[in-house]
Parts: sequence; structure tokens; C-alpha cells
Amino acid sequence: MEISRDKLLWAYERMRLIREFEDRLHTDFAAGKIPGFVHLYAGEEAVAVGLCAHLRDNDFITSTHRGHGHCIAKGVDLREMMAEIYGKATGACKGKGGSMHIADVNKGMLGANGIVGGGPPLACGAGLTAKLKGTDQVTVCFFGDGASNQGTTFEGLNLAGIWKLPVVFVCENNGYAETTSPQYSVAGQDIAARARGFGMPSIAIDGLDFFAVYEAAGEAIARARRGEGPTFIEAQTYRYYGHFEGDSVRYRNREEEEHYRSRDCLYRFRQTATAQGLLTEAELDAIDARARAAINEASQFAADSPMPDPAELLTDVYVDYPMAALWPFQEPAVPVYR
Amino acid sequence: MMTVGIIANPASGKDIRRLVAHGSVFDNEEKVSIVKRVLLGLEAVGVQRVWIMPDRFGIGLKALDNLPLQIEASLLDMPAWFTPDDSRRAAQLLAERGVGCIVTLGGDGTNRLVAKGCGEVPLMPISTGTNNVFPMMIEATTAGLAAGLVACGRASAAVTRAPRIDVYRLRANQAEADLPADAPPDDIALVDAAVYDERFVAARAIWDSTRISDIVLTRAEPGNIGLSSIGANFLAGNYPSGHGLYLHLAASGQPVRAPVAPGLMQTVHVAAHRVLAPGDTVRVHRDRPAVLAFDGERELELHTNDWALLRLNPHGPRVIDPRRAIAVAAQAGFFTTPVPVSS
Repeated sequence: MEISRDKLLWAYERMRLIREFEDRLHTDFAAGKIPGFVHLYAGEEAVAVGLCAHLRDNDFITSTHRGHGHCIAKGVDLREMMAEIYGKATGACKGKGGSMHIADVNKGMLGANGIVGGGPPLACGAGLTAKLKGTDQVTVCFFGDGASNQGTTFEGLNLAGIWKLPVVFVCENNGYAETTSPQYSVAGQDIAARARGFGMPSIAIDGLDFFAVYEAAGEAIARARRGEGPTFIEAQTYRYYGHFEGDSVRYRNREEEEHYRSRDCLYRFRQTATAQGLLTEAELDAIDARARAAINEASQFAADSPMPDPAELLTDVYVDYPMAALWPFQEPAVPVYR
Repeated sequence: MMTVGIIANPASGKDIRRLVAHGSVFDNEEKVSIVKRVLLGLEAVGVQRVWIMPDRFGIGLKALDNLPLQIEASLLDMPAWFTPDDSRRAAQLLAERGVGCIVTLGGDGTNRLVAKGCGEVPLMPISTGTNNVFPMMIEATTAGLAAGLVACGRASAAVTRAPRIDVYRLRANQAEADLPADAPPDDIALVDAAVYDERFVAARAIWDSTRISDIVLTRAEPGNIGLSSIGANFLAGNYPSGHGLYLHLAASGQPVRAPVAPGLMQTVHVAAHRVLAPGDTVRVHRDRPAVLAFDGERELELHTNDWALLRLNPHGPRVIDPRRAIAVAAQAGFFTTPVPVSS
């Protein structure tokens, strides 16, 4: 497995930024500063970063309701993300989407998604586009163990399978769909094995180990770029906070939480990189400090930004379709908002 | 009381060799089915109590669901974290409870972990992994019968001892003399130990033979998959039973073609070799970082100028020969007399 020193530094910085971002939201939400729902990705950083480390800006990802980590790993601007979550006009979607709808097409981030299982059909659309255009763009489709039970996910796997689309399906199995463990919600419980029925190779990996994710992701994404079709990866991971902020987390015990925190991805990354002599403690400490400062700055930017103008309420809601091209449909009786 | 343990590894048959080679995905529903048949086999020969390792996929729970058993069977009381160490800890707990046998479901890697904890308890290894040299491709009912016969003391003659490789990792400033004679090994391997030109343990599996510099094998039998096939194809039968083999690979060596992973034939170059008698050691040293891989999986990082001592130990885990177990019981009239009543 080849990985450059620059890539190692990048990966640690991205994982640390995600952790700081989520820890900050945890406290800001408790302080009543954030409107709407927030689902935090802390603990799962190695998955998003291990995958996105192999992607280019013109590759695509689809995300979930727990999408902040995917956004940061794909390079979405931190200040615009934070402002979006604060519901401010300077947000990535002008403050209208909030935490669950952050998107940045310029970075190939096709959107967080409030619909559980909403990502796979979108990923197939992006994959089909790349295939028809003959590009080598790859789409990574993140979803959770809960979404693994959704019809949309099965439809997406089927489409990707029959059309050999350049899509990597990544099931982030964090052990709970909202509050329910796969023991009660996933028939068979073997999520990775399900993909075998769709004719694609499938593996299960330690999602708490950046290096394990990075290596497996590299092989899967390279397959997709070579035109060899989709791959399914079940990344076994864990979220540190509740399903949403405000969740009292009564469905799991302290011993379990402490076990997974003892296998923390950032800690293990630091251990491996320093023991190998690839990075120094000082370098990593400096990244920690920079990440903290960047999140402070993003948070302040969000707090200082204006709320959206009420006159903006109906802009950017619908695309301005050329109605004449939609024949045989008639011009709607109600106006199209623009 | 005649007791047996079952360790079904939910992670076996799912590693990166599904991408880089052509390994089959071994789904956990099939493992559930296998455990059911093992339980029925155990019951049929008079086993009274079975403990099954708990796991995140609920293999044991599902196997027990709706299975009409007269014997007592339940999950082992231990937390399951879905880490490789689950199998080792389960084996240790089962050994402490004095089970007469442990049935394993996994590949070489799973059995290596179990062997680290099972002590003298015999193993009945059923193959559900990727590289399967140590475990057997065997019908689960038959495996259950054989395991039960051994646990009940009716086929002790069917238990043999497998060798293992004891691995000691020493830092650059340590000498072999610094190693106490009774020092426990840092790790073990059941089939093969290899020095792999790679910094990271990462996704664990190995498949690129161009990165291998040294291999120690406990066996080099023809027909195997994985690194032991290199030894078998190289020696072509000129290999004394009960011995191990050391191979040094380098570009200048003799080419040997072998299936190093499922569907993956590669050519390696054997530059030197040595047949190992029990107790023989091999010392490997690298002037750059590497990892030691055991039974097909990267495990221990070797930093620059670290070195490792690998010793062929004839006192590895005890293993059941299922055909022999059933033959021994049949010869004693076990299958032509009424079903034994356990006491």
C-alpha cells in the first residue's frame, strides 16, 4: 500500500477537522445556537477520509443525514458548512438546507440527504453519467446500516450491478439505525453478503482503522476507474454521540462506548504514523491546533453571518424549466417559483 | 459433563481478497446453518452442554433459534466487540471451562487466533475462510459427530498434534541471547509466516508475492492454497513428514508458480531453502520497514533494523481427524448400538 507523507498529513488534518467540527456542534447545539436537527459523525472519520483520499474534485459522493464528515473529507468549505448548519445566508445552500442538505457540486458533493436510502439512486445517476460520457469519474455512495434495508438501496445496487456502473457503495455500519441494532432490523445481519446477490465483489473492513479503509478503498475505486464495475464495502464503525443531538442514548451501555473509544481512529492513526517514523508528534500537534483554530473561525463566521432575507424564501427552490420543452405538458396554472 | 465450544468467526470470508483476488464471500447465514448442523451432530453422540461464542452478527443466537435440541446450548458469557481478539478470548474461556473440544468456523487466520487461547483442547476446524489449509472442507454434521465423539472420550485416537511457528520480534539492539529460554512468543502461525515488504498492517491480507522476502512453513503439502503451495510446488514431494520449510525469495531464484490466493496464480523466485526440523529457528532481518504476516494476514510491524526469530514448534494445537474419529467409533460399535444416554 503506497501513501505519501503529504497524503498522510492531509488525512490526519481532515479527520481532526471532522472531529473538531462535530465536537463544536455538540456543544453549540446544547447551548441552543443551532436550529433544526444535527446528526454527528464523530468516531466514523476514518471511513469518509479513507475513501475520499482517493477521489478527485470531479469525482462524486452521495451522503446521508450524518453527512458533515463526508463534506469535510470531500473538501467542502468549513465556513460555508458551519453557516449552513446555523441557517445563515452565507451557508453552502444559503441557509435553506441546514445540516441534512449541505451540497457543493463544485466539489462533487451531491448532497447530504434527509431521506434514509436516498443516496444510492443518485449515485447510480452520477455513475451512469460518467459511464455514458466515457469519463473515469467515480462515485462513492455512503449510507448506513439502516439504509441497507431500504428499497432504494436494493434498486441502486441492482442498477449498478446490471450496468456495471463506476460506483463504490460504502455501508457505514455504526451498529445502530437510529436506536435499533442490526440484530433487530437487518434480516440476516450480514450486510456485506447482501451485495453478492447483485453480482459485485463485497468486503467487510475495520472502519475504525484509517489504513485498512484507505487500502480497501484504493482497490475498489481503482476497479471502478478501470471500468470493472461497482464494489460494496461494509465499514464497521461506531458513532460517539447519539443518533441526533438530544438523543439520550439509552440503547447502548457505557462499556460498549468505552471499548470503541479505546479504538479511536485518530489515536490509532497517530500511533501508527509516529511509530513508523513517518510523522512526528509535533507535526500532528500542530495540525490539532490548526484544526481547532479553523473550527473556531468557521463557528465565529457562522455566528456573525446574517440570517437569510425573507424575500429569498422562494428563490432556488425550483429549477427554471423551459416549459415549452416539456410538451405535452401544459403551462401550470400556478406560477413556477424562481 | 461432556461439553463442547463453538467459535464461528463472523468476519471470516470477507476480506480484501474479494477485490484483489477471487475469494468467495462466505455469508454468515451459511455459518448459522453450519452451526445448526454441528449442534445436531454433537447432540447425536451424547454431548450434554455447548457454549457458542457471541458475535455482532448473532450467528449463535440464530443457530439456536427454532432448533429443537435436547441438550443445553447457549452463548458464552463474554462481550463481543467484533475484533479478532474475540476468537482468542472465547477459546481461552472455553478452555477454562474444560470443554472437550472446540469446533471452529473460519479460515487459517481464525484458527490461529483460537490456537492462541485454546491450550490443550482439541480443535475441529471447519473451513469458512479464504485460505484454508488448517481447517477442513467437511460437512458440518460429520464435523459435529466427530467433535462430539472426541469430547465424549470415544475417539481420542483421532486427535493429533499440529505444529506451529513461534514468532519473536526483537528490536535492533536486542540479541537472541536476550531472549529467555521460556519466553512466550509474541505471536504464532499455524501454516505460514512471511516477511512482507509493506509498512502497514492495514487491510491485513497479503496477495502480492513480489513483496515477500522470506517464508516459514509448517507444512508444504501439495494441493494447498496460499503460501504453503509455494513450498509444495517447489519441493515436489522431496519433503520429510513432520518437518517445516524455510524459503528465501529473490529475483535471482528459481521460478515457481503457485496459487497464492483464490484464483491468483503467481510466479515467485526461490533463491534459497532449508528444511526445518522441529525446534529449528530462522532469523530474519530487514534494513527497512516490513510487516510479518501469519497465515495470510499482516499482523506485526517490523521497524527498520528490527529482526524476528521464527521457530518451528511441534507442540501446536491438537486437531481432530474427523474421518478417523468416526471410523474409531464405528469400529467400537457406536453407531450400531442404541443412542447413548449421557450421565
